[in-house]
Amino acid sequence: MKVRLETFGPTTLVLPQGRLDFASADRFQMQLEQALAGAGTAPAALIIDCVDLDYVSSAGLRVFLRAARAAERVGVSFAVCTLKPAVRDVFDLSGFSRIIAVHASRAMALQTAAGPA
Amino acid sequence: MSSALVRRAARSVGAPVLALAELLVKRDGPYARAFENLILALIALSVVSVVVEATSSLPGWAKQALRIEEIVVVAVFSFEYLLRVVAAENKLAFIFSFYGLVDLISVAPFYVARLDVRYLRVLRLLRLLRVLKLQRRILEATVADRTRELADRHALLQQAQAQLNAELEVARALQIALLPSAFPAKPGCDGAARMIPATTMGGDFYDFIELPDGRMGLVMADVSGKGVPAAFFMAVSRTNLRELAAHHADPGACLARTNDVLCEQNPMDLFVTVFYCIFDAATGVLRYANGGHNPPYLRRAGGSVEALSGAGGLVLGAMPGIEYPNHTVQLQRGDRLVLYTDGVTEAFNPADEAYGVERLIAEVQEHGDGAAAALVERICTSVTAFSGTAPQSDDITLTVLAWHAPQAPAAGR
Repeated sequence: MKVRLETFGPTTLVLPQGRLDFASADRFQMQLEQALAGAGTAPAALIIDCVDLDYVSSAGLRVFLRAARAAERVGVSFAVCTLKPAVRDVFDLSGFSRIIAVHASRAMALQTAAGPA
Repeated sequence: MSSALVRRAARSVGAPVLALAELLVKRDGPYARAFENLILALIALSVVSVVVEATSSLPGWAKQALRIEEIVVVAVFSFEYLLRVVAAENKLAFIFSFYGLVDLISVAPFYVARLDVRYLRVLRLLRLLRVLKLQRRILEATVADRTRELADRHALLQQAQAQLNAELEVARALQIALLPSAFPAKPGCDGAARMIPATTMGGDFYDFIELPDGRMGLVMADVSGKGVPAAFFMAVSRTNLRELAAHHADPGACLARTNDVLCEQNPMDLFVTVFYCIFDAATGVLRYANGGHNPPYLRRAGGSVEALSGAGGLVLGAMPGIEYPNHTVQLQRGDRLVLYTDGVTEAFNPADEAYGVERLIAEVQEHGDGAAAALVERICTSVTAFSGTAPQSDDITLTVLAWHAPQAPAAGR
C-alpha cells in the first residue's frame, strides 16, 4: 500500500492507495502517527482521503480508530473523505461512520476542517 | 605439473604425510593452530630479513645467519606447500588458485636462484610476496569466526522459534477449546457450528448459551487483527459476553453492557464485531442485536434467503456508552439461520477472487433443507474447494440454526 501526504494550510491530507489489511496496517499506523506529529508543529486537522483506497479489513479499521483516538488526544480534528463504495460499506457495517466524521468529497472535508471547530 | 604427476607424488609420500596434512592444515585444532603461528612468525621474520639484507656492509656472521634463516623459512614453507597440495580435494585447482600460486612464488625464487643466477635481486625481492600469505590467515580466521558466530546465533534462534511455536500451538488449542463443541440439546431446534482456524492466530468465535429462562443465546463474533493480542481479546470478549448474557433478557442491553466492560479492558484499541441473538424454540421468536457484524442470512422454508436487517451498530470495544437496538424476527418451521464471519466471504482463491456473498447465498438457498450440520459442512466444503491452494489468512467460522416445529422430528445432527 502506498501513502501520499498533501498539505493545505494547517490541514494535512493523507492519501492511502490500495489495500489496507493486516499486512499493511502497522506501516500505515506509523505514517499516520508521523503525519499527526507534523514537522515540528501538529496540523490543525488530519483528513484521510480514501479516493484511492480499494479495501479495508478489520485490522485496517483499527488503524482508523487508533488515529481518531490519537488525534482527539492532541486536539487535532479528524475526518475521512471520498470513500469508495466497498470501503463505505465497511465503515457503515462496523458502525465506524457513527463515530468518525465521513465526508463525501475532499472539498467538503477541507471546508469543515477550516470552519469553526 | 600435471595432475597425474601430483597424484603419483601424493601417493608416494604415503599415508603419514596425508595424516600430517590432515592434522596441520585441514582441520582446526591445537596442532593446526600451532603450525599456523609458526608460519606467521616465519612470514614476519622473512620480511624483516629482506629489509636487513638491503642494508649494505653486513658483517659476515650476519650474512651467514640470514642464509640459514632463509633455508629454514623455505624448508618450512615448502613443507607447508606440500601439505596443502596433499590436503586439497582438487589438487590442480589449488595449485593454480591465488593462494596456491602465492605459496609457490614465496619459495620458488630460492630454488631458481640456486640453479640460475645466484644473487638476482629481483627474485629475492619476490620473497616480500610472502606477506600475501598473511591474507589467507586473516581471511580464514575471520570467516571461521563469523561462521561459528552465525551457527551459534542460528541455533539460539531456532531454539527460540521452536519454543515460541510450541507456545502458540498451546495458545491456539486453548483458544479453540473455548468454543462449545456441541449444540445443546433442545427440543424443536437443531444447531451446528464449525471454525476452520487460519494459519496465523485469529480472533473468530461463536458461542451457544443456555439462558436461565430456557431460551438459547447464539453468538457470532470476529476480533480485529490477528495473533496473540487478538486471541486474548477474543477470550476476554467471549467470557464477558457469556457471563453478562445470563443477566440480560434482551440482546441489545447485553451488547451495550459487554461493550462498556470491554472498553475498560482494552489497552490495545482492539475491537470485536458481535452478532448476538436469543432464540425461543417454543415460539420461534428470534431477538437480536448487531455490533458491527455481517448480517446473518435467514433462509425461509420455501428457499428464499434474506439478510437480517439492523446492521450497522458499532463494533464492541471502540467507544463506551453505545446503545444497541433490539430487532425481532419471527421464524417459521423449516427456517434456517446462517451466521458467519468475513473469513467465509473473504476467502480468496489463487486468482485473488473473493468467495463473496453470492456464492454463500447460493449454497444456503440450494442446500438449506437438511440438518444444520449438513449445511455447515456443505458451505465449508464449498469455501475450501473455492480457495484451493491459496493460503487461508483468516478464520472461517459458521453457525447454522434450524428450527423445526415441536411436533416435527428433530433432524439428526
